[in-house]
Amino acid sequence: MKETIKNTTLADRLLFLLLISLSVAGIFISRDALSQGSEVVIEVDGKPAYTLPLYEDRLVSVGGSYGDTLIEIKEKKVRVREAHCPNQICVKEGWISKGVIVCLPNKLIIIVGGSKKDEQLGIDAITG
Amino acid sequence: MQLQDKQRIAILSAYAIALHGFESLLPTPIPWLKLGLANIITLVALVLYGFRTALMVTLIRVVLASIFIGTFLGPAFILSTGGGLASVLAMGLTMKAFKSLFGTVGLSLIGALFHNLAQLTLAYYLFIQRIEAILIISPFILLIGSLTGIANGIISDILIKNLLKKDREKIQNVIHS
Repeated sequence: MKETIKNTTLADRLLFLLLISLSVAGIFISRDALSQGSEVVIEVDGKPAYTLPLYEDRLVSVGGSYGDTLIEIKEKKVRVREAHCPNQICVKEGWISKGVIVCLPNKLIIIVGGSKKDEQLGIDAITG
Repeated sequence: MQLQDKQRIAILSAYAIALHGFESLLPTPIPWLKLGLANIITLVALVLYGFRTALMVTLIRVVLASIFIGTFLGPAFILSTGGGLASVLAMGLTMKAFKSLFGTVGLSLIGALFHNLAQLTLAYYLFIQRIEAILIISPFILLIGSLTGIANGIISDILIKNLLKKDREKIQNVIHS
């Protein structure tokens, strides 16, 4: 293994450094770009199904191709409490207060954002 | 295609399917973490036996492994096929275009990068269609991909060296006997 690491070319090492620094920078940039939201938008199959305030505790059940998914809003945080998809990635994400939870099998997206942020992310201009 | 090539493709595909299946059984501590162990076999096939063998092995692996796991023609299958093809094409092209610029580890990194880029693009166009969601998750996926890419590259390099050494020993034994 030592020999392998020693035998890497300069291009190998530069590529590795470039990828690592770009992705770490990307993590910080995307974190800054997302301010804490006040609204929970639940999208099913690409269409917005629910828009709920983040400060109101409640449980929502949303239907999908793998049955109902239980989404819980509590103390300004959101999580997927129960889902019947095979990999359970959405459940493992746990509580979030900003960002997105995606459940691919159920075509379900939960977005935490403010109504202010949505305006900023809108189209700046359309040119002919 | 020679009989020997077919045997090679069959054996390498069997290894790749086994690794792919094994990986799908592993519990993942972080969502989206995938080791991409099957890429080790693709890389070994590419370096030792050329692009066509690597492409065949990848195609056979994604189709058969998805049938075994039960994701055939589902979203996971589309993502894994797109990722596998993009990665083998990128590694093959890099090897052809820049002959000795990148070593096995570098090739593995390029494979991992294009695998992830293809999957993110496919996920955006086919399933998610929210560019914010993709942009948030991309850096994490690329970071994890680079780390697993390095590990797989090192494993592949050691494997390739040992296989070449064994081959050489075999030839010497034949000459001596």
